[in-house]
Amino acid sequence: MSSSSPEPQQQQQQQQQQQEQQKTEQKSQKQIDDEFTSYYLQRATKEFGEALDAVRSADDFKSESSVAVLISALQQGTEMFSGEERRGVICAEGRGRGRGV
Amino acid sequence: MGKRFSYGGDAVGAPRKRAKVVHEAPTSEEVHASRQLRQLLIFDQDPARSRHGLQSFKLFLDELLGADGGIKSERARILRDYLDSEKPAEEDESPVYLPDIMQTWSYAAQTNNENIMSAVPVVLVLLLRLLSQSLETVPYGLGICRTLLQKRQQELIARNLAADKGKSFVISPTLRLLREAVSFDGGAIARPLFRARATMLKSLARNMGIVHMGEDKEDTKRPSARTNAIQFFLSAIKYLHPEAKKELLAQRDVVSALTRDIKQDPPYLLKELLTGLKTHIIMDDKVPREAKSNLLNTSTLVRLSALYQYRLDSPAENETSIADLAHELLLTVCTNPACGVLRQDSGLYPREIDPNTTIPTAELDDLGLEAVVWMNKFRNEVPIRNFTLSNFLPNLRPWSSVKQSELITSIFKVAPELVANYFINNKSFTFEPKLSATWIGYAAFLFNTVILPIPENLCRGPSVPELPPPTSIVLDNILPLPLNQKALVRCLEHKSNMIKFFATRILVVAIEKLDAAIRIYQDPSHTNKSLWNEAARRLIDEFCQRSPGIRNMINACQKIPTQDLLHREAASRLLRLLYEVLPQATLSAKLDVSTQLDAVLSRISNQELEDPRDFALGLKELESLLAIAGYSPGMRWFGAAKGTTLSPFTQLLKVCVEAPKGVSPKTILQVLNFVAVEQQLVPGHTGHPGLLPLVEALQASAKYASQVWSFLDNCFTQCANKSVKYVEMLQEIAQEAAESTRQKINEPLVSPIILAIRDQLPHASKNGGEDVLKALGRLLPNFLGLSITVGESKPILNSVFSKMVADLPDPKGKLAKAGVPGRLQFQHNTWAPKRTKASASEKNASNHLETTTSETTIDQDTLESMLHIPDSLEAENSALMKWANKTADELVDEGYATSLIALLASEHASIRKEALVSILKVADKIKQSEYEEKEQVWLLLAELAETARDNINDGPLPSTIVAFASHALHIVRDPLHGLYPKVNIFLTRGPYWSLDKLPLVDEILTEEPNVGDAFYTQISWLLTYLIDGLRTTHDLELYHKKRAKGPIFERILALAVNPYMRLPLRTQALRLLYRASGIEGGSTTLTTRFSVMNWLEERRSACTDPSEAAVYDGLRKRIWETCDQQRVTEWSKTGLP
Repeated sequence: MSSSSPEPQQQQQQQQQQQEQQKTEQKSQKQIDDEFTSYYLQRATKEFGEALDAVRSADDFKSESSVAVLISALQQGTEMFSGEERRGVICAEGRGRGRGV
Repeated sequence: MGKRFSYGGDAVGAPRKRAKVVHEAPTSEEVHASRQLRQLLIFDQDPARSRHGLQSFKLFLDELLGADGGIKSERARILRDYLDSEKPAEEDESPVYLPDIMQTWSYAAQTNNENIMSAVPVVLVLLLRLLSQSLETVPYGLGICRTLLQKRQQELIARNLAADKGKSFVISPTLRLLREAVSFDGGAIARPLFRARATMLKSLARNMGIVHMGEDKEDTKRPSARTNAIQFFLSAIKYLHPEAKKELLAQRDVVSALTRDIKQDPPYLLKELLTGLKTHIIMDDKVPREAKSNLLNTSTLVRLSALYQYRLDSPAENETSIADLAHELLLTVCTNPACGVLRQDSGLYPREIDPNTTIPTAELDDLGLEAVVWMNKFRNEVPIRNFTLSNFLPNLRPWSSVKQSELITSIFKVAPELVANYFINNKSFTFEPKLSATWIGYAAFLFNTVILPIPENLCRGPSVPELPPPTSIVLDNILPLPLNQKALVRCLEHKSNMIKFFATRILVVAIEKLDAAIRIYQDPSHTNKSLWNEAARRLIDEFCQRSPGIRNMINACQKIPTQDLLHREAASRLLRLLYEVLPQATLSAKLDVSTQLDAVLSRISNQELEDPRDFALGLKELESLLAIAGYSPGMRWFGAAKGTTLSPFTQLLKVCVEAPKGVSPKTILQVLNFVAVEQQLVPGHTGHPGLLPLVEALQASAKYASQVWSFLDNCFTQCANKSVKYVEMLQEIAQEAAESTRQKINEPLVSPIILAIRDQLPHASKNGGEDVLKALGRLLPNFLGLSITVGESKPILNSVFSKMVADLPDPKGKLAKAGVPGRLQFQHNTWAPKRTKASASEKNASNHLETTTSETTIDQDTLESMLHIPDSLEAENSALMKWANKTADELVDEGYATSLIALLASEHASIRKEALVSILKVADKIKQSEYEEKEQVWLLLAELAETARDNINDGPLPSTIVAFASHALHIVRDPLHGLYPKVNIFLTRGPYWSLDKLPLVDEILTEEPNVGDAFYTQISWLLTYLIDGLRTTHDLELYHKKRAKGPIFERILALAVNPYMRLPLRTQALRLLYRASGIEGGSTTLTTRFSVMNWLEERRSACTDPSEAAVYDGLRKRIWETCDQQRVTEWSKTGLP
């Protein structure tokens, strides 16, 4: 960790880290937004699956328009998250550092 | 009724039948030579021969149009030769081109031969099309077009256009001919053609209404008269000059017919129509606004919006559907002021009012917001400027279509005046929760409405107007009418989590919007500050009345399944906003954050969340809860809760250390650092990164970190509980180090937590055996090394480490030999040493800040409006009469009893006596009633009466007693109140109260609160009662009287220094001082006995908010002005201020 002469393995790790960091930094806000919206939708359908089934069998459900309404309604919650917050969620990767020790 | 006569020559009684029209197909022959062509087309009175000639010509033209080369082909030479031979003489003033054909047409009209009347325009259309193919032939075509403009031909055209509705075969070719003519040679004759509009545009509106009949789709090869009419109209607007367009659009019948049958039009025509209108009228800057308004009236908009349901097209994947085209057009039309529909509104101010009117100051002082006459006027009707849009919007169905919802909200964005207006006019649609597509669609629409930003200056102007906008309109923008308390509560209590989730999200954005509005209201640049402040208070009040109760919101947020991360995140966000934006309202709510925090922490730190994105989302929830914990001083950071092994502080640190890659727990670390500095775990030195070296060391030795948590947890707790011990220890070690190194150590800088670790190290093996010591052996050198990197004292840390080594497993003496490693770098976290010398720009900035800070001052009137609280115990003698016929509920809940209690402080003995008798009667009445809390209320009143009985003749009861009784009455009727146990214990202690003492002050200030973190709720209650209880000089004595735990004033001043206390409570404390300054001798006592001037100055220098600092300054001034200045000057020796 300190050191004036880091070992080769450490160097490799550092390079990998840098590359990963660059990758996440490279993602444009548009990409981040898209990925976040898709993650948000995925989570919402997971959390409210039962309710969504109930809505699908409601009398006023029309296959053409209601699906779009439902999707748009679910995903509008993404607007509560700032750009930075979205990036924070999407760029989270790998497992916790202390895991499995 | 007379008999009908038959005039017909047929048999009597036989019905007259319409002659059957038989369209006989014309004969034709192939054209081989120009001469043959001339003969074919020569005028002939025999209609059959004329038709034969025209039909042959038509087939010949069709053939040329389809052939390669068109007019330039070899075969076209026949036509060119024919045209040359037919060319009129150049000297002719009004040359008639194709005279034979024109004559045939004219004769057909005279003889009413519709077949020929139709056949002539057909060949002319084809001929013009062919002639437009070559520059050489264009002049000839123009000649034909000009011939059409001659009077004789005009009449023929008009006659064709006005043919019976059923004669589409005559009307359609004529319209096609006009279309070719108007667009020929880039619209060369468009202008003269429009001049002849009386004939050329004859029956245009009627013809636009001749639609395709039949169930199958309109054939593109046989377009209806309507299609041809629309196409002619579109060609005309393409080539007409703006003034002509204006005139054309002034014809209401044409404008109306244009869109009347739009729903049945074929897709290709709609595409042309929508694009044509957009390009040549709507987006044409030269077309006057008025003309555009004529076209885009409410009914046109409504008809265009019917295209949202258009289903006749089946667009390819990369093709835009008609519904989308219509949507784009409507979006442009309704949101772009240049399109003639949108008018500039005044934001949240309705039409016809002047928000910059000057209202006399005296009137504002007397009446406040009521001085603005229109303030409450627009609750049921909002005058607006955008009539067209206001009439159009109710025709849309935002709940069933995403696009329609988008259209409305886009309109709201550019015309905020319409929000309140829309919901006032559309009350029929309720927000009653139901798991249906419609409800969800409506919820989504409301969310999109609420999330729209508040107009920058509340209006369109360059700055915020003098007067605030009507509260109801602002509120309707923040929580539109359907979002009323009843509906929202039902949503929050609904059994479906999704409905709760939707309601929660709407509330989140609503409170954020309320916050944004309040910020504008509280902008210090307003001239009428007190008026805007009052308006802000009223807005908050009305918001609280329309939104669900805090309790409802908190309950809804607490019952969410653990795995529902999105829902929990939204709920925690809502709670956080409640604390931040509506702190007053949350004071009374009992929210135990620590339980929730524990749950989230254990979920996160036990790594229950597989997906790293879920982990990051969990962190968001955690951040919100932490912020709330920051607002709840009852939060216990150290010491593990039931069922957990680590304290919240250590768990949070663990979360930071173990956060997945890419997740930045910056906020959590900030909170941890804040707590760590407060609790003296790390130095509060500027530039010191707090816990960062420890976090870095733990991350660097991740393998060992898991072993040391419980040891570290113990060290944190020890360090927080015995901070003085470690400060002293530091001094000792510094001295030792100085002696051993013979260096002088100035201001030794070392994190006390390192000393606590050193102190606890001998007991480390208790927390997990040798493994812990081994892990610490790896961790501590790094930690200390990094501490040196961040600027902690190297000699001391070396000395500490040498002591640590004794307890660490170091059989070969490696650790001792290596010592604390130097020059360690941060690799997992970023840390940059702070520059010691501020750069010039920073200095300038801070200087600027200082000057602006010192400039913020407030006058005494503003101070009064902020700190003055009206006397709630002011005697109202009529109370003696009013209570008699009231029920027990009314007596307690509606304030009749408290009015009677207040009379015990009356100056007149007779009133006091009568009040006492009344109170006894009231107590008795309540005891006999069915009132739920009758026992407690009776006890309170009876004890008050007992206390008053012996003293009533001597003078008014101390205000403190009266205020206490009034406020305690509110508590004994509510068993859920945090102070209920304390008040009851107080009441059962004895039958009467000491007049000298202030009831419950000790209990609240020194004892632990009974319920969770209700401490600040209790403080709020106490301060209100103390303010009400301070009215006379006699009361003042009670406040500065010496007591076992110090005078009341002293204790309140000490209380207000508490860093956890939020602005509303701090302000309450200042209000108490303000109240005292209004009593004779109050300010002098505060200054000489409690050094309040120094206290205020200290508070002022400690606070960062310039507006709060101004209040301290203002209060200092007030105290100086109201005190005995001579005496205070003598007392202070140097003089004040």
